[in-house]
Amino acid sequence: MAVPTLHPHTKADVRAMLREASGRGTRVLVTGGHRHLDKGNPVPVDVELWTTQLDRIVAYEPADMVAVVEAGIRVGHLAAVLGERGQEWPVDQPADATVGGVIAAGASSPRRLRVGAVRDSVLEVEVVTGDGRLVKGGGRTVKNVTGYDLPRLLTGSLGTLGAIVQVALKVRPLPRARRTLVARGDALDLGRRLLEAVPLAAAVLASPGTVEVRLEGWPAEVEAQTAAARRVTSELLVLEEADFPTVRPWQDAPVVVEAALPPSRAPALAAAAGEAWGALLGAGIVWVGLPSADGALSGLRARVAELGGIAPVVRGPGGLGEPPPPAMDVQRRLKAAFDPRGILAPGRGWGGL
Amino acid sequence: MAEAAPRTEGRGADVEGARRALAAALGPDGVLADPLALRIYARDASMVEGGCALVAFPRSVEDVQACVRIAAGHGLPIVPRGSGTGLAGGATPIGDALVVATARMHRILEVRPEDRLAWVEPGVLNLDLATALRPTGFTYAPDPSSQQSCSIGGNVNTNAGGPHCLAYGVTSNHVLAVDVVLPDGRLERFGSEGPEWPGLDLRGIVVGSEGTLGIVARICVRLTPLPPATRTMLFDFPTVEACAQTVTDVIAAGVVPAAIEMMDHGIVVAAEAFAHAGYPTDAAAILIVEVDGLPEAVEAQGRAVEAAARRNGTRHVRVAADEAERALIWKGRKNAFGAVARIAPHYHLHDCVVPRTKLVEVLSGVYRIARRHDLVVTNVFHAGDGNLHPLLSFDRRVPGTLERVLRASEEIVRLCVEAGGVLSGEHGIGLEKRDFMPLVFSAEDLAAQDCLRGAFDPDRRMNPHKVLPAGARCGDFAMARGRSVEEALARMPEGSWI
Repeated sequence: MAVPTLHPHTKADVRAMLREASGRGTRVLVTGGHRHLDKGNPVPVDVELWTTQLDRIVAYEPADMVAVVEAGIRVGHLAAVLGERGQEWPVDQPADATVGGVIAAGASSPRRLRVGAVRDSVLEVEVVTGDGRLVKGGGRTVKNVTGYDLPRLLTGSLGTLGAIVQVALKVRPLPRARRTLVARGDALDLGRRLLEAVPLAAAVLASPGTVEVRLEGWPAEVEAQTAAARRVTSELLVLEEADFPTVRPWQDAPVVVEAALPPSRAPALAAAAGEAWGALLGAGIVWVGLPSADGALSGLRARVAELGGIAPVVRGPGGLGEPPPPAMDVQRRLKAAFDPRGILAPGRGWGGL
Repeated sequence: MAEAAPRTEGRGADVEGARRALAAALGPDGVLADPLALRIYARDASMVEGGCALVAFPRSVEDVQACVRIAAGHGLPIVPRGSGTGLAGGATPIGDALVVATARMHRILEVRPEDRLAWVEPGVLNLDLATALRPTGFTYAPDPSSQQSCSIGGNVNTNAGGPHCLAYGVTSNHVLAVDVVLPDGRLERFGSEGPEWPGLDLRGIVVGSEGTLGIVARICVRLTPLPPATRTMLFDFPTVEACAQTVTDVIAAGVVPAAIEMMDHGIVVAAEAFAHAGYPTDAAAILIVEVDGLPEAVEAQGRAVEAAARRNGTRHVRVAADEAERALIWKGRKNAFGAVARIAPHYHLHDCVVPRTKLVEVLSGVYRIARRHDLVVTNVFHAGDGNLHPLLSFDRRVPGTLERVLRASEEIVRLCVEAGGVLSGEHGIGLEKRDFMPLVFSAEDLAAQDCLRGAFDPDRRMNPHKVLPAGARCGDFAMARGRSVEEALARMPEGSWI
């Protein structure tokens, strides 16, 4: 059943709305583009607070490689603005997702081997706490150890600590050349050999019967990487400037799990994952598509736990799963510090935070 | 105030009981109580000196837990300490503190190239780790200039940087997990050997927390592939402005070198006299630029950087011919702070970061401030990050000099903040900069940070007085803003002096 929605236009609106919600004990789900809401334990809420009207670019100086934006700006809009100046915020998330949503979900790029995780790109954060305080942490420089790292605390916090209203992002030059190499065969074995042979690849994605190697950089560099890949297999399809990845066999499943585990154990999981999977080799990410969130999901999670990883659902039902996070008392006190009345999607986080 | 006897705090601390318990737990050589020996641990590499009651030298995680429990049981605050190379007073103890020095925990526990990670103890030295990893084809990327002597545990606590953070990112980007002994003595693992972890990013909070949340007892670091090729270049410029403009032009051209370091005339002269690196001592400023990656990328980036330098009037282009020459060029840069002892016996420095595009403006302001206070200032810094290191050289034995230095350094900090900068890029806040925090954060921001601290350490036992100014209290949103130097000095915690 749809819940009522709030549409703040300013940070002051967000403060007033959350202050009032705290006063009344109204449970609030902070949302952006509704693209990452399945990541998190499903919990009942009384109202959704949409950040999508907070969509201004506050400051962008390309030579500083820093962009300050309001959290409700769409990823696609930001990409267009940055792209005009030859830069990108490397997350590779859906164009209609919001920047705040991507950060709150901790959704990183499949190119993370080369571009890093989203947590490394958030320099400053402004957040409205559950009781309506505006709190800033971090700073608008590419390097900063001034005080505790609130940007990292908020990244991946799933909306349980506050409404992210503004962020400063570290952006980077767009690669001058981009190329995807596609090879067919025993994907896990072939992928392993390509990962070893191709220096500094942005991604090596194995899926049933297919390996895609993502290359980016200077044109001559990409040529050299391609030549290295050809020494592993001569049967390579070369796709220039294509989206990555080109195939996602897990994508259309009713339930999609994004498992994260030590990189060397990813193949063991993928090998037992059926026909709807993709493994980012060297990075330790395995997506698995499942028909439903029942027995197959708990079986998969048990296997991931044996391998030392986690397996949250990122699309469909199923929530975050085990294990409970460490130092639950510390996590609860952090929650209480930012959301003293416990109105922000209580239970949505790991361990029921 | 300079030589006033330190007053202790935390009355009721049972120091003798703690000493006996530590000696029983760690062995007699595991605890230090001799007043003369304790003086060595009364400060780090900053200007602030304090004092402590005891120093403990754990050899294992269990020892660390014992230290924390004994300190708690006997009412002693705890100050974690790595190599003591910190520049902000973060490891300077105050009052009846127990200093927990991790220098004897210096084993590399596990190297797993297949998982691109290694587990290390906190006392492992930064350069020792990089050297040990080299045969595997990987490295640990953060490389603070003090890497020969600073420890990974210290690096984690200050979220240390270094020249190569421009392309590779700071310490936090390279720490996958930490095993932390919390203030109640419990051991918890934050983060994961994999790329994601359950719960809030507590590892992200612990990194850079300056020992205020717990003691980092084991660290899982990310391994970075060694670049197949590297090119180190040195340029010299007739003006500081031309040098700084080159930095901006390089970035604007879409090139992110592995490192861009700038040194002004004063520091070039001092470093050259020490390192004999062949630096041009008649230049107004020099730039060291390193690019790395595949040979093809190195070639393309090298050309772009050289073009930017030539456009801005570099007089020479020197490219390191081999590893020996590369090491020599870096030797002068990494030992620059030591080399300034040739200018005057003492130095004081800040590590503010400003937006790259404000470098020229801020640098000329720094020179102006130094001139006004009749001080010698030299600049050597991570120009690509906008991370300044203005170094004020002085002789504190000359009456009135220290006051001038502190006044000038406050003006420098304010100048950087007004340019949109932050207080510290890599050294941390510690004691020296904590009273500047209200320049960049509101009372509500600081109160939230204190709440965060309290979530880990409700009794505020870990490294008290550090990072947050005295007035920042969780739940208390009314505090004074921007204090004068006199007030700041007067507000230094009891038991510490500059």
